[in-house]
This record gives sequence, C-alpha cells and structure tokens, in this order.
Amino acid sequence: MSAPSIWSAEARLLLRSGRNLVALILLLALSSAAVWAGIAEVEHQHATIKRVEAEQVRDLAAVAEANAGPEGDAGYNAYYAFMLTQGPPPPLAFAAIGQRDLQPYVLRVRALGLQAQLYDSEVYNPELALPGVFDWAFVLIYLLPLVVIALGHDLVTGERETGRLRLLLSLPGSGLWRRRVGLRYGAVLAALGLPLVVGGIVMVAPVSGIAIMLLTAALYCGFWFGLAMLIGASLRTSATAAATMIGCWIVLTLIVPTLANATIARTVPVAKGIDLTLAQREMVHHGWDIPKEETFERFFVNHPEWRGKEEFEGRFHWKWYYAMHQVGDEAVAADVAAYRASLARREELTKTLGFVLPGVGTMNVLHRLADTDIEGQLAYQDSVAAFHKSLREFYYPYLFEDRMFTQADFRRIPRYEARHSTGTLALGSLGALGLLGLLALWLGSLRIARSGIGSRSKGRGPGMAAFGKLAEITH
Amino acid sequence: MSAASLIAREEWRVLARNRAGLIASALLVLLILVANFTSLERRSAIEADRERYQASVDESFDAQPDRHPHRMVHYGQFVFRPLAPLAFFDAGVDSFTGNTVFLEGHRQNSANFAEARQSSLLLRFGQLTPAFVLQTLAPLLLIFLAFASVGREKERATLKLMLAQGVSGRSVIAGKLIGHAAIALAVGLPAFAVLLVFAAAGAAEWGSVALMILGYAAWLLLWAVLGVVVSALAGRPRDALAILIGLWMVIVILLPRALPEAASAQSELATKIETEIALHRDLLKIGDSHDPDDPYFNDFKEEVLAKYGVDTVEELPVQYAGLVSIEGERLTTQIYADAANRQIASESEQNAFVHAFSVVSPLIAIRQLSMALAGSDLSAHYDFLDQAETFRYDFVQRLNRMQAELLPGIEGDDPRISAAYWQDIPRFAYDPTDPFARSQNLVWPFAVLLGWLGALAALALIAARRIERAAR
Repeated sequence: MSAPSIWSAEARLLLRSGRNLVALILLLALSSAAVWAGIAEVEHQHATIKRVEAEQVRDLAAVAEANAGPEGDAGYNAYYAFMLTQGPPPPLAFAAIGQRDLQPYVLRVRALGLQAQLYDSEVYNPELALPGVFDWAFVLIYLLPLVVIALGHDLVTGERETGRLRLLLSLPGSGLWRRRVGLRYGAVLAALGLPLVVGGIVMVAPVSGIAIMLLTAALYCGFWFGLAMLIGASLRTSATAAATMIGCWIVLTLIVPTLANATIARTVPVAKGIDLTLAQREMVHHGWDIPKEETFERFFVNHPEWRGKEEFEGRFHWKWYYAMHQVGDEAVAADVAAYRASLARREELTKTLGFVLPGVGTMNVLHRLADTDIEGQLAYQDSVAAFHKSLREFYYPYLFEDRMFTQADFRRIPRYEARHSTGTLALGSLGALGLLGLLALWLGSLRIARSGIGSRSKGRGPGMAAFGKLAEITH
Repeated sequence: MSAASLIAREEWRVLARNRAGLIASALLVLLILVANFTSLERRSAIEADRERYQASVDESFDAQPDRHPHRMVHYGQFVFRPLAPLAFFDAGVDSFTGNTVFLEGHRQNSANFAEARQSSLLLRFGQLTPAFVLQTLAPLLLIFLAFASVGREKERATLKLMLAQGVSGRSVIAGKLIGHAAIALAVGLPAFAVLLVFAAAGAAEWGSVALMILGYAAWLLLWAVLGVVVSALAGRPRDALAILIGLWMVIVILLPRALPEAASAQSELATKIETEIALHRDLLKIGDSHDPDDPYFNDFKEEVLAKYGVDTVEELPVQYAGLVSIEGERLTTQIYADAANRQIASESEQNAFVHAFSVVSPLIAIRQLSMALAGSDLSAHYDFLDQAETFRYDFVQRLNRMQAELLPGIEGDDPRISAAYWQDIPRFAYDPTDPFARSQNLVWPFAVLLGWLGALAALALIAARRIERAAR
C-alpha cells in the first residue's frame, strides 16, 4: 500500500469505532458550545459596559447641571461626579474567561480616598460563580484528557485483546503507532481547535494569540497522549489502562490542585486588604479631630506645589477635605504594597505549581495570555489608580486657587481611557508545559515501541496503578 | 440465610481480595479525613480572623472622640460575617461572597474581599472540603467498585450457574445492591462520624447533622445502585465502566458548570453603578431638602411644625436638620431595599433555573442540600446582608436622633456630643440562620435524591428480569 492510502485506511479504522466517533463529535460539540458561551459572556460584558456608559452620561449631565456654573465650586463637583472606569474584555477573553465573572470590569471613582473605592465589588451571582466558568479553557483542561483516554487507552491492549497484536507487529514496515497516535492526536486537536479558530475569527482576535493557545493545547494534548501510550503499553488489559488513566486525571486535575489551593490559601494570607481599609478609615476620620495644619503638612510632603495656599476662613474648605482623603491614602501605602505582594505571591506559587502540573500550567499560560487572571485585574486597578491621580490633580488648582468651576471646566474633567490588554506570553510556563508534553510523548513512544516485548513479559506500568489493578481484578 | 445476603457477602469477599480496591478506598477515606482536618483548621482560622476584626472595629468605634453625630454616621461600622459551624464541611458560596460590609449613612456598600477575588484561578478547580470529596470523588470510587459487579458474573458464566441453581434474578441484583450499598455507606462513614462528633460536642445542631448524613447517604447510595444497575444492563463490564464514567462526567463535572452559563443568559443583573444612578434619580424625584420650594420637604416641614405645635423651624425643641436626616435615611433605605430585592429576585430566578436541572444532575440537589444545612448557601448570605442592613438602619437612625435631640442644647460653630454616647450605639450581633426556616430549600433536593433512588430501584427490577431472561 502507498503511504497516503495507509493513512486513510487508518483514519477509516479510527472512525469506524463508534466510541471514537462519539468521543470526537462530543469534543467538537463541547468545544463549540464553550466558545459560543465564551463569546456570549464577552458580548454580555461589552453590552453591560455600553449600558453603564449611557447611564453615566446622563448622570454626569445631571451633576454638571446641578453643580457647575459661574458660581460652581470644584469641591461639590468633585464630590458628586463619579467617573467611570471600564475594563472591556480583552480580545482573547472569550476562550479563557478566568476571573472576569467575579472581578469588576466597571468601577466608578471620584477624587476622594481611592483605597475606600478600589476594592468595591460589582454585582455577580455567587452561586453561578461557584462551580467555575464553562469556557474553552475548561474544555481543554478538564475534558480533553478524558477524550484522549477514550481514544488512546487501548491502542496496544485493544489489539492484544482481539488477538491482532502479534500479526500487526510482524507486518513489514514501520510507524504503526506513530500513524495511529498521530492520527488520533490530529483528530482530537482539530475537534478542539476548530471552534477556537472560528471564534477567533468572529471576535477578530489576534492571530498570534490564537496560535499560542493552539500550541498550548497541542502540548497539553501531547502530555495526555504520551501518558496514554506509556500506560496503555505497560498494562495488560484495556480496562486496566482506562482506569489507571482516569486515576491520573483525578489526581492531576481534581486532587492536587485543590490540595495546593488549600495550602497556598493557608500559607499566604491576604488579610492586608481589610487592614488597609480599616486603617484608611481611621486616618480619614481622624482628620476631623486634629488641627487642619497637621493634615496639610502631611499633604505637602508629596504635593509641595500647594504650600502657602492652605489658608482659608471658616471651619470647612474643600481643599482641606480632599487633602485629608489623600493623606489617608498615603498613610496606608505600605499596607497597600503588602496586600498587593500577598496577591502576587499567590499568583507566583500557582505559577510554580504549573511547572509540574500540566493542567495548572495550561491554565496559567491561557489566562496570562488572555489577561483574565489576577495580574490582569491588578493591572486594571493600577490604571484606575493612575486615573484617580490625574483626577485629583485636575481638581487641585480649582480648590487651592479658589477658581470657579464652570460647565466648560466640567467638560475638561479627565476621562478614563480603557487600558490595552496586558496579556503576555508566560514563556516559562509554556516552556515547562512543552517539556512535560514532549517528555511524556517521548517516554510514551519509547514504551509503545517495545510493546511487542511488553506483551510477552507482562510489563507493568509504574505508579498510579491503583485504579487500574482494581479494574483488572474486578473485571 | 437468604440468597441475597449470601451474594452480598460473596461480593465483599471478592472486593476484599482486591488489594487495589482496598487501597483506592483507603485513599478516599484518607482524603476525607485530610479534607476534614484542613477544612476545620481553615474554618477556625477564618472565624478567628473575623472575630478579631469585629472586636477591633467595635473597640475603635467606642474609642472615637467627641463628635458631631453625623460624623459618626459616616465613620460607620464594619461588620464581618461569622462562619457557620458546619461551613467546614461545605464552604458553599462563602469564598465567592464578600464577608465584610462597611455600613454608613445613606449608602449601601457592597460586601467586599471575597476570597475568590483574592485567589489565583487555582481556586476554581474546587475547594478541598469533605463535601467536595463526597460529591465529586466518592462517586468515582463507587463506580470503580461496582461497574463489574454483575457483568463479571455474566462473563464468567457464574451468573448462569446461580440462576440454574434456582437463585432468582431479583436475589442476584438485591445481593449486589446490598453489597454495594453497604460499601457506599462505609465510604461515607468517616465523614458522618466527624459530623456526629461535632453535634455531640454541641458545635452543630443535631437536626442539621442528621439531615446532612441522610442526604449524603442518599447521594452515595445513588451511585452504588447506579453502578450495579448499569453493570447488569450493559453488555460487558468495559461498556458499563464507559457508560458510568460518562454519566459521572456529565452529572458531576459538565452540567454543574454549563448550566450557570445558560442561567446567566436568563435574566440580566443590573450593575451596582446603574442601581446607584437610578437611586440618585429616584431620590431627586422625591425631593431636594436643600431646595426651599421643594413640595415634598415643605410638606414634611409643615408636618413637623404641626407636630411640635410651633410656627417656625427655629422654635423647634429639636434640630430640624436632624429630622431631615432621619426622613432622608428612611427614603434612601427604602429605595436601596427595593433595588436589593430586585437583585435577589433576579439571582434567585437564575438559581431556580439551575436547580430545576437537579432532576437531570442530582449533584445540584446534594450541593443545595449540603450548603443549606451547612449554613453556607446563598440564602444564608442574603440573611447576613439583611441583618446587616437592618442593623445599619437602626444605628444610623439612632445617631440621627442624637443629632436632632442633643445638638440644639450645644453652643458654638463646631457642635459635638460626648463620646460617651457612642457606647449607647448597639454592636452587630449576627443571629445565625436556621436552615429549617427555609424548608423548601431542603425538601426539593431530598425529593430529587429519593426520586433518583426510586427510579434506579425500578431499573434494578427491570435488570433483574433481563438477566433471568438472558440466562434462559
């Protein structure tokens, strides 16, 4: 037979099995459904932002109407004008929604203390968030291994059980397993990747991003096929092989990640968030009970340009009020840094775990690329903080120079500009995943190449055989 | 001894010889114990943290100096949600809801610092609690133990032998069911024991613990029975295993994740920003207390003057601004409450959509039941928010009344009242929710679990008839 016809014969063989066909169609359907759900979620978030923006325009118009004018006081305007910040879904979010179902993507801030505003939650339904999102990343990380198990666990054992193995191995020519594994690998990757590519086209996502996601999927898929060859060639029966692989899947995607999460939560507490909120409140309210000069002195440390303009008559002036809020923010800077450090530490530990756990590594690469992880949320918070600074600084001249705040001034209030996606390629994580994937494939192909010998010597797979043996004996 | 119990004993004997089965079962039991231990420790750490924070914010409230009462309205109070005792068993939505709310005048702030917002995505793999192990992993073990229970006898032709000796198909199925039902209960035993110890120590209600054990027993039995029934109906054990794993995947992993996506498309949740803007507009519609010609507040003024029998605001024995604050707080609170109720209604509608599918995926039923009994479900969170809001309204109005009643007697342009008054303001005391108060949250999941068991029992009868016929 010529080379192409061997391949097409193998392909027919692959698809003639009801189980294989069902598994592949199921994967295609699930991947499509997940991409569709991801696109729906992204569209929903865009629509929400649009809706909020429209409301915001009306609200600001009302505030301007009531507070800005020839007699307008910047203090009132700054107090009532909440400015909208928005974090629209990045282009790749549809494939890996990550934390975007929980983290706010619209947040209003005003020139008051930022630390009392930055951590506010938006409305989401906690019970719907509880099981985790259904997106392409989920299908890849959780469900693809099961499809690989369905297609790949009985490569060798299936032939042995039907008595064809010796015949197959005695046939001239080489590359039997390479063809069979390659064919399955390609089919699985196509069923999984095709909907992603279509989704990428629909969402006009960057080609390089989609390509890296496919590469990540290919490596992860490689890991599981490698494992399938390794286990399938080492065990005697198909049931044993399947059960052993399911055992691997449980340990790698259900048990170790949850154990690790419990450990990380325990070793890296994040209580500083509450600490800084409480400390900031004390600072701001304490300001009412101390001489105003004290507050101004602290304020001038970082804003020396307004020194000499702090005098005012009477008991209250907005410039003192906003200075007091700023001093409250500055007083908790160390707590803020510690809080951020604890969040970053949790991310870092998760990243390290991803170096050895392919599922977690895949999760890290996809969500860092899509910018939908904690890092993306922190980048959004940073951009809000930068905007808040520009907002304060916009108002200071009006406040400290007692300038009127007219409608024209209101129109000049800085607007937040949505940041660009800061999704990055987590090269280290991808490299580690590549290493794991290729290592598994290499070991698997070594093992399967010796499968003829294995069938005579009743080779046993290392480790993870608990479920496998169980199935073998009860069988 | 009946044939069924003999068959059950034989099944145990076979499984007891199976070293790998024993190892897997032992590992699961170990995992349940580890989950109990880490989860208990985690709960007590969180609880201690929240208690410490609550005590410290209460203390700082008392320690505030002499002030204008309205300053204290905005100094506000922080409240922390205490964790229910059984939350160690099932953390429920606790990690996904904020657990601290800042309460102040004329604003309803969001509950902040949810654990899920501060954790890496690893949290979304699940949390290691006894509930997670029992709900997600235990069914897989039961599947692996039971998938070959009848099929093995079929393949080795021992089934034919038994039937030829006059053992009825029913006895065979009943024996296998008894065998695997006992194993299912044994798998749950360590978790049940921890629950019972907890109840005996007085840390949890007997009623909740008893229902929790019943619920999980039904859940585990369901998988054992499913395993035996599929094993009897499927051709080969290998097919039975594939079917069972497929079912597990759909019921336990896929549907619980996919259904929320469909549910969130059911109804739109308004953002906090939209609610605030709408609220601001509604308030302006009612009236502007700073506008001397405002009809609403002019009527209010007339009423106040008539009530005190005076002609002008200056003659009032109380501070008029304080009365306006009280009225304003009443109005804003009403509008906020309406918005909160709308949000709860939309969320409940979404959740009801998911719950309806518990008929297809009984995981949803056991999850609901478990969270409700553990006091970590969404209803319990709503209850906390509700109590916090009631408390907020009360203390803000107390401070407003202080402003109205005490300020008129104080001279000067910076009137303050004594710090001693802050001690009169009550502190938040959370009254834990009673899961039995919302019995519909318990009845429906139980009905679903029992319905599944009933349906599987009917299937078992059919299977019994089938194996008899096949043997003939």
